[in-house]
Amino acid sequence: MATAVIMPRQGQSVESCIITSWSKKVGDEVKIGDILFSYETDKSSFDEEAQVEGTLLAIFKEEGEDVPCLENVCVIGKPGEDFSQFAPKDESTPAAAPAAAPAMSPKAPENTAAPVAAETAPAGGDKISPRAKNLAAKTDADLSRVVPTGPDGRIIERDVEAALDKGFLKGAPAEIAPAVAAPSAAAAVENDYEDVKLSGVRKVIARSMHDSLSTMAQLTLNASFDATKIMAYRASLKQGAEGMGLANITLNDLVLFAVSRTILEHKDLNAHFLDDKMRLFNHVNLGIAVDTDRGLLVPTLPCAEKLSLNELSLQAKGLITEAQSGKISPDKLSGASFTVTNLGSLGVESFTPVINPPQTGILGVCTITRRVKTTPNGDVSYPAMGLSLTFDHRAVDGAPAAKFLKALCFNLEHFDLLLAK
Amino acid sequence: MPKSQFVDPKKAFEKGSIHFKDIPVCQYNKTLEQEKKIYTKKDFMRIYRDMAIIREFETMLNDVKTKSCYNGVEYNNPGPAHLSIGQEASAVGEAYCLDIDDLTFGSHRSHGEILAKGLSSIQKLDDKELYDIMKEFLDGTVLSVVEKHMNAGGDIKELAINFLLYGALAEIFARTTGFNRGLGGSMHAFFIPFGIMPNNAIVGAAAPVALGAALYKRSNHKKGIVVANFGDGACGRGPVLESFNFASMDQITKLWNDGKGEGMPILFNVFNNHYGMGGQTRGETMGFDMVARLGAGFNPTQMNAERVNGYDPLAVIDAVTRQKKLLLKGKGPSLLDVVTYRVSGHSPSDSSTYRTPEEIQAWKDADPIPAFKNKLIAGGIATEAEFDAIQEQVTRRMTEIMKLAINDEISPRMDLEKNPDAISGMMFSNLHVPNMDPGREPEMTLPKEECPRVKELKTKVRTAFDANGKPVSKMKVFNIRDGLAEPIIDKFYEDPTLIAYGEDNRDWGGAFGVYKKMTEAIPYHRFFNAPISESAIVGSAVGYAMCGGRAIVELMYADFIGCAGDEIFNQMAKWQSMSAGILKMPIILRVSVGSKYGAQHSQDWTALTAHIPGLKVVFPSTPYDAKGLMQAALNGTDPVIFFESQRIYDKGEEFHEGGVPAEPYEITIGDPDVKRKGKDVTILTIGAVLYRALEAAKILEEKYGVSAEVIDTRSIVPFDYSKVIESVKKTGKCVIVGDAVERNSVMRDMASNITEMAFDYLDGPVTVVGSRNWITPCFELDHMFFPQPEWIIDAIHEKIMPLPGHVAKNNFTTIEKIERAKKGI
Repeated sequence: MATAVIMPRQGQSVESCIITSWSKKVGDEVKIGDILFSYETDKSSFDEEAQVEGTLLAIFKEEGEDVPCLENVCVIGKPGEDFSQFAPKDESTPAAAPAAAPAMSPKAPENTAAPVAAETAPAGGDKISPRAKNLAAKTDADLSRVVPTGPDGRIIERDVEAALDKGFLKGAPAEIAPAVAAPSAAAAVENDYEDVKLSGVRKVIARSMHDSLSTMAQLTLNASFDATKIMAYRASLKQGAEGMGLANITLNDLVLFAVSRTILEHKDLNAHFLDDKMRLFNHVNLGIAVDTDRGLLVPTLPCAEKLSLNELSLQAKGLITEAQSGKISPDKLSGASFTVTNLGSLGVESFTPVINPPQTGILGVCTITRRVKTTPNGDVSYPAMGLSLTFDHRAVDGAPAAKFLKALCFNLEHFDLLLAK
Repeated sequence: MPKSQFVDPKKAFEKGSIHFKDIPVCQYNKTLEQEKKIYTKKDFMRIYRDMAIIREFETMLNDVKTKSCYNGVEYNNPGPAHLSIGQEASAVGEAYCLDIDDLTFGSHRSHGEILAKGLSSIQKLDDKELYDIMKEFLDGTVLSVVEKHMNAGGDIKELAINFLLYGALAEIFARTTGFNRGLGGSMHAFFIPFGIMPNNAIVGAAAPVALGAALYKRSNHKKGIVVANFGDGACGRGPVLESFNFASMDQITKLWNDGKGEGMPILFNVFNNHYGMGGQTRGETMGFDMVARLGAGFNPTQMNAERVNGYDPLAVIDAVTRQKKLLLKGKGPSLLDVVTYRVSGHSPSDSSTYRTPEEIQAWKDADPIPAFKNKLIAGGIATEAEFDAIQEQVTRRMTEIMKLAINDEISPRMDLEKNPDAISGMMFSNLHVPNMDPGREPEMTLPKEECPRVKELKTKVRTAFDANGKPVSKMKVFNIRDGLAEPIIDKFYEDPTLIAYGEDNRDWGGAFGVYKKMTEAIPYHRFFNAPISESAIVGSAVGYAMCGGRAIVELMYADFIGCAGDEIFNQMAKWQSMSAGILKMPIILRVSVGSKYGAQHSQDWTALTAHIPGLKVVFPSTPYDAKGLMQAALNGTDPVIFFESQRIYDKGEEFHEGGVPAEPYEITIGDPDVKRKGKDVTILTIGAVLYRALEAAKILEEKYGVSAEVIDTRSIVPFDYSKVIESVKKTGKCVIVGDAVERNSVMRDMASNITEMAFDYLDGPVTVVGSRNWITPCFELDHMFFPQPEWIIDAIHEKIMPLPGHVAKNNFTTIEKIERAKKGI
């Protein structure tokens, strides 16, 4: 009996995945654990390993195809075996199946493995009208953020329309637009340019960045603080780390820690803006922007305010490693209440980070420069770390945002006191 | 109700008594010597041959049913076979007297009658006519089989007998080479060119249908008489008794054609075989003692009733000949009680538990066929050998025909896999025939311009509002009644076959005034008051249409549909397709949905009629639509159930620009109409509820900013969903509203269809707002029973799209629905 391989469902919110490459071709012998194909969600990429042994009889979905989750992708079985029952309903022949073709029944089968239309779980449970569902599919509305107003908590068309008006689109950690990799000039030996097809992740970033900037009233405040103390503290941690069994706590970790301890007193920035209401969070679910090979990803560190500095550092590192490896679960890439992004290591002195909707703010961490300040002892030079806070003026006014930034700078300048808190 | 006849109380109370004449009972007593003066040897032998053919035909069917084998040929026939072995003399005797213009209608037990009438007609037609009939019938399908596979020795009459037997048997065996392509079968076989009209599997149904054929002859001055054959058991059926009365009603002789006295040319011929299936009529299930007694109850001529020995073909011929003479003289209707017996069972599965073997044997001993043979031998008319030769030929012919009829290549069944639409294509004739008999001038009593109603219509304002937007007064506005009447009057002046009748149609103008002021212009025989006999009213229209006429019949309230249930559901609906498209059924049945008269006078029964395949159903609610749909129905050839609503007869035209045109125009039956454009929700209406839906649309717009599109179905069968689906694709929301009780209604059917067809576009369930599953309460409680504008809004709010700030007063929740369904309310 041939076995169909389906497109796995990677997380609640994933409805389809793109096949990025095939490692096997029709007719190849397959052993358990062999990689059949690689695929990516809008946020992560995965390898699909064979669960059964046999010959790859047919491939239904080609590289680059967007395949709904749970739909059949290929079939493994004995050569010559009939696999027509697994073929997608609308395509009577698979992509290539010379060996098995004669055995195929001429009629397309009535039923294939049920192609479950995986939908983003709507916020109000699982009730949604077909019309609303279609609209969401067409527009990429994020059903998890749609507020149902239909009878019995059903999402109806107007609810999706309302969500779209608010720019609630699927996926996409919104954030600083990372420097777009320029098409490699070197690669083009004969041409002046090379067209590089956008990856799924890049498309999502493109859309959500654009939506973020086109639907919000964003502006950025820049400030800096005297980093003398945190640098000294970081130095002492580095020395004592091994003995104490501490993580390699970075300056960025210190900033994350300070944010987690400061922002709860500035709830408008630890919030989601939902048009007719603000959702203020009681915990700090800290989004951490990570530059990866596939593009920008933002894993979430939940309840950061409850973590010790060491715990925070350890967990943040874990998330960053997962994100960079491309194997992070899509579920870990959502739900942030505020985001911190860091371009300091790349020497950036100030920038305008882009908010990930429906969050109301994002903090950019900049590089450390030497500045001079006047003291009773005369002008002294000190290390100044820049902070760029972008906020949504629809949700927060300038002064409260500035107050948060000021408080954050104070806490970072008095990190020892903050630790005592 | 004619004013010309004075109902005098003095006369009404006059003393006296009713006198009856004697009704003859089996009084035929001619000797063979006397009969020899009437019949030649050929005639005698033909009578014998016809009986022998029928006996052999039915013996063959009996053998096939009980032994799956006849004369060595094996065959299994799963279809029905209600045999009449023993009744041959009655059938042949009757048919012997009938000409081509005389029509017979029969029952489920009519193989014998079909063959007898066919054989009689073959005898009476000249060879050329006969051959042309066979050649033209179904493009020669039946003829080509017998011509190709049987040798008639160049004798056209022999060929025609082969044709008759083969056409009937192929029909019984459901072959496409049968008389009705196998769609009629054993109980419905017929062949109009020989005057063999449809037989009916519903007991007694032949009576009203045959009455209609007689009405066609009577009203259109056509030659010949009509014979309605049915059994003694059928005399217990209302439609039969209604037909006796309808055919006997005084006006036919006293008022029609200036009282020239011509009665209905119909013979109600009862083949009295003593049993209605197993119930013994005389002595058990009836009280008439003898069927002939019934005649005395219906008119002073006692329907010329007579009881005859049906086991003697010569006695039957004697009686039918006299009856036919009377009928042609205008002395109808007649009733014959032909005493006979079927020695075969009701059907081959009948174990005769209701009668003794001795009884059957006694009747076998009296078998009319050997009796007749012996009489002729004794009378020196023919020898045993001559009869043997006839029998030998009959058996050989029957065997050959049976072989042909069971041969799947020569006599194939309808191939619905190759031709999936073969039956679909016969459900409606969909022809456009404005005049059923263009060769004749329509008989009218006034020129059209002098018809009082035509004059009145000229003064009417054809829009609901005048130039200043003010409503036109009720008396002046061209209303729905006028929309219905105008094309009907036009048609009376166009189609000479059009007749209209129903209760109180004439002077009263119909209970709701649709026909008022038409009486003066239309002669009685085209437009009359029918007795309160719904079965006879509708059934006769069916027979009238079978003969080539067009009829509009009216039942007053839709609630009376039940009184004519069989005639609407089994007769009107089915004969076009059961005849394989040979018959046309240009009938309009008008019914009106009441509103103030409680449980039995306020029901929208569209669902009942729409459920039955073969009926077109319309329900207009504006004068423009009423006229256009009536015109389309009048120009068509299909049966149309025309629903009207008493709530809105007074309505003027509010929608169609320019109002209702005076000229004829048609609205395609099946085409719904957008009465109000909108974008947020579709409200689909059936009938008078349109106006309440428009009120709801207004409230939705003004109070909730919801723009409703209101579509009037206008028709129910057929129905083109495209406009509705287009609208639902736009709005995603759909409510269906009608005055019928909600359960199993047309609304429910449409809701399910729309859900299937537009599922992916729906933003909520297609919701039905119908009347409660109750009896209709009194008028004062109307608003608690029939859908109101607020119900529509509540339904949208609760089932589809909650309306901000709206508080529903009516419970459309699922819990309530489950509770109501559980209780059956």
